[in-house]
Amino acid sequence: MHLLLFNIIDQIRSLGWNGAFNLLRDGVVLGSLYSLVALGYTMVYGILKLLNFAHGDVFMVGAFIGYGVLAQLGGPLAPALGLAPLLLVMFAVAMLGSGVLGVVIERFAYRPLRDAPRIAPLISALGVVFFLESSVQLITNSTHSEYSNFPVFGPLFTPMFSVAGNPVTVVQVLVVLTAIGLMVALMFLVYRTKLGKAMRATSFDREAASMMGIDTDRVISATFFIGSVLAGAAGVMYGLYLSDTYFFVGFLYGLKAFTAAVVGGIGSIPGAMLGGVLVGVVESYAGGYAGGQWKDIVVFGILILFLLVRPTGLLGGKAIQKV
Amino acid sequence: MDETTPEPLLELKSLSMAFGGLKVIDNLDLVVNEREIVSVIGPNGAGKTTLFNLITGIYRPDDGEILLEGKSLVGLAPHTITQRGVARTFQTLRLFLNMSVIDNVMASQYGLTKVDIVRSMLRTPGWWKEERQIRARAEKNLSFFGQRLMGYRWSQPAYSLSYANRRRLEIARAMATEPKILLLDEPAAGMNPVETHEITELIAKLREDGGYTILVIEHDMHVVEGISDRVVALDHGIKISEGSFERVATDPKVVEAYLGTKAAATK
Amino acid sequence: MSETPGIPAPPEEPPTEQASRIGVDSWVAESEGRRSRTPAALLARGWESSPDALKLLAFVAIASSVPFWMNEGDLFIFGLFTLLYAALGLGLNVVVGFAGLLDLGYVAFYGIGAYAYAELSSSQYGIHWPAEATIPIAMAAAALVGVVLGFASRRLLGDYLAIVTLFLGQAFVFFTNVANPTIAGKGFTGGANGIPQLDPLTFFGYQLTSTKQLYFFLLIVVTLLATALYFANQSRTGRAWRALREDPLAAEVMSIPVNRLKILAFVFGAAVAGLCGAIYAAIETAAVSTNFSVSVLIIIYAIVILGGFGSIAGVFVGAIVINCTFEFLEPQNDHPEVKRWLFYGTIVLLIALMKPWLKPVLVLAGTIGFGFVVHAIVAATTDASWTSGVPVSGGRWIGHWAVIPTGTHANFDNYVYIGLVVAIVCTASLKGWWRTAALVPTLYLTALAWENVLALNGGITAFVLFGAMLIGLMATRPQGLLGTARVEIV
Repeated sequence: MHLLLFNIIDQIRSLGWNGAFNLLRDGVVLGSLYSLVALGYTMVYGILKLLNFAHGDVFMVGAFIGYGVLAQLGGPLAPALGLAPLLLVMFAVAMLGSGVLGVVIERFAYRPLRDAPRIAPLISALGVVFFLESSVQLITNSTHSEYSNFPVFGPLFTPMFSVAGNPVTVVQVLVVLTAIGLMVALMFLVYRTKLGKAMRATSFDREAASMMGIDTDRVISATFFIGSVLAGAAGVMYGLYLSDTYFFVGFLYGLKAFTAAVVGGIGSIPGAMLGGVLVGVVESYAGGYAGGQWKDIVVFGILILFLLVRPTGLLGGKAIQKV
Repeated sequence: MDETTPEPLLELKSLSMAFGGLKVIDNLDLVVNEREIVSVIGPNGAGKTTLFNLITGIYRPDDGEILLEGKSLVGLAPHTITQRGVARTFQTLRLFLNMSVIDNVMASQYGLTKVDIVRSMLRTPGWWKEERQIRARAEKNLSFFGQRLMGYRWSQPAYSLSYANRRRLEIARAMATEPKILLLDEPAAGMNPVETHEITELIAKLREDGGYTILVIEHDMHVVEGISDRVVALDHGIKISEGSFERVATDPKVVEAYLGTKAAATK
Repeated sequence: MSETPGIPAPPEEPPTEQASRIGVDSWVAESEGRRSRTPAALLARGWESSPDALKLLAFVAIASSVPFWMNEGDLFIFGLFTLLYAALGLGLNVVVGFAGLLDLGYVAFYGIGAYAYAELSSSQYGIHWPAEATIPIAMAAAALVGVVLGFASRRLLGDYLAIVTLFLGQAFVFFTNVANPTIAGKGFTGGANGIPQLDPLTFFGYQLTSTKQLYFFLLIVVTLLATALYFANQSRTGRAWRALREDPLAAEVMSIPVNRLKILAFVFGAAVAGLCGAIYAAIETAAVSTNFSVSVLIIIYAIVILGGFGSIAGVFVGAIVINCTFEFLEPQNDHPEVKRWLFYGTIVLLIALMKPWLKPVLVLAGTIGFGFVVHAIVAATTDASWTSGVPVSGGRWIGHWAVIPTGTHANFDNYVYIGLVVAIVCTASLKGWWRTAALVPTLYLTALAWENVLALNGGITAFVLFGAMLIGLMATRPQGLLGTARVEIV
């Protein structure tokens, strides 16, 4: 234990301010991805009080759909499209595909269980996790799919600008800006449109909302669609940025995104965004200073701490138990 | 009822509780004597159920004392408070719905019984003996309600009972903890006039035959009139009136709390 | 029942001809349904009315006969592991079934038991304690972690509890695999390789080495375990667990110390898992952390859920079904023809259960016809490599019915699989005769997927099936095969 502490201090000293900045940058980029996935958890939890374990796998499927589009459009050496249209098609197909997947999951795994004991949808979610992961494992023959095999993405990894001599690459800017754009769109949707109003009403009290003429089943489907679209986009960005896509990735990233949702306060949309960035930055620093094998355990440690000490998260309200 | 000087069984001393900034119970004093039936009335949101939650330890008071037979209950876990002799029913009915009727009444005897799990797994003579006692006590408490909860109903799941029978089962379940004081939260809510009348008689019988002290929240004034030795009226967590039913029911403050200032003025 | 003085005699059960009248108890009214005479209903009633001791006796009798007609290899994978999974299921059933706590860290306790045995009965540190000492220590170690976990999460319920316990499972794998602290000059858990060369189970100098010995030992363990847990469930503790599962707050107010009982449930589950872990490690003669992954967790969950939460008999049924399915799906299986019969047999059986009788006949005939037509078209329009494949588990006629290509055909198998999933989703969304019609291509696609993908990757297929089973079971029969249906809000 002492040894580890010395190592960390050593590492902080040797990396210096530049190292600290680089870790912060990496953390924010990673955190944007977590935020996008966390939004799906938080929205579904807000509306159904259901922990959608399968959401991480929707993210994973999104990454694979993006890869599939790439592979179909000419393969590694002969891309049929330029970089920008290629990216557009990838995002569009992956987001749509994930969205549909989310709706199908809701329709078959959760809708029949609306009034079932609370443990039932959780088990069903566990079933979805295993179904999706094993299916992808079957289809991909358990191999890793690497976005970085496609030279067409080379320009994405060139520095765009630098801060005090530390480069920031195009893909990093792209990830953060896309994430911000999607979140702004989501905020607009939730707080400024009729559908958003219906969603908020449904999450407040589903029964009352349905008595007020809101088709809650459709609102719930829409919520799953939107959450899954965001996860799909995050999947493609994950592929672009970190490249290594395989069937188990959804479990780990899903759990971290869930941590983000809990840290921010589950049910709260701004909370999920904040939590995502926070978790990303913490993970980045833990990995940079203590060593890569520690980062997961640190993130989950935070999760446990929050669940045990402040389960309502940073931005969640305090719940009063009604008797 | 015997004519000796009444002993205070439950005492609340300047009890206070707030949710956020809202005072739900404000500096409340209340005494319930041995074998007395006290009714708590008041408009919705007056803090009646919160009072029960405070006594049973579900909430912790911000300030004040709760004494049972002179010993403080503040800070104890709800199950310890029940073991000390306070049992309650719930306004919203919280039966163990998927357990059988008799299992409901047997489960609530946990605090009275001793045989640990190892002895249960070995089925020692102690287990047999205690299990027979538990069963007998459950049957005794269920039979308190006449034919209502008897016979083939014992093995039925609680969810198959009618609403009125669920209320009765809640009372039976509370009785099976062998309490000194029973807290009944709106025992007549949702009942038809015949059932309400039955409940009124039942509460009287609970004291006469069962020897319980009873604190009851009730909205139905006929029930309150029929059962109460004393009535306490709450409004916004403050005790606004206390005394016999006639006194409290005609107290201008109570009328005002229920009907508003104008009505009180015209009266 | 009513010998206690002062209890009025129970009223007579109202006669059933009044069943549908207003004012008659719904329980009595429904008794008509309970008296139906279909074979399934008779079987179910016979099962319900026979005493539980008789059921256990029947199981023990049948299970004891197994080693006398099964060969050693089959006994190992089908017999021994079914019993081991049954024992694991019994432990999980205490936590999830009796007390209603969703414990996703259960598999970590299993691992702790295995590693505890490995540390104390192997050449790792040269400690060779006998099993009568090691197994109780393994159980105690797991139970101790159970206490810690239960205490830490005493205020959590439902999904949050699930996450915290899931973390325990992850932390366990991290600890054994990555952290692997050095103690007494050696990696404590042996890292990714685990701890090899464990001693066989030795009780008071008597060594259990053959599969038969292990089988009978496990049979005794499972029988004692089932009896003990059955008795535990029928005690005040069992009732308190059920009460806490129903409504923790009401249970607390009814004098039940909810936190203590939750911890007790965790401890019981953990101790049983620790026992299983120790036995498992001794059987495998190694403790490797990958054997305690989430996949094993899902197998145990599938067992308990298929059997039905809270049902001890259900755990046995679940263990037999799940373990045998799993083992039959393994690619290196000695019984390919059984595998084929199981697959096609199950499908035909499921079709046969449809009503009215015309439907199954039409669907079956339609599927067979559809297959030959498709096969003929494919054979006529493409080159021979598209139809020259051999069915995985034998059966020559299948090769003339299902399209099985040889060599690589541009993701044909993936399209078949994805097509199957889409077809199932579409079929499930349709109603009436449309659904019946959609069944024909769906069933054919199922056969194609089986021959081209699923049967070739049995290990993965098993998890696809388990996942699908969990979803399907929750939607149609959440109480499992032998559980009691539960009502949430009335």
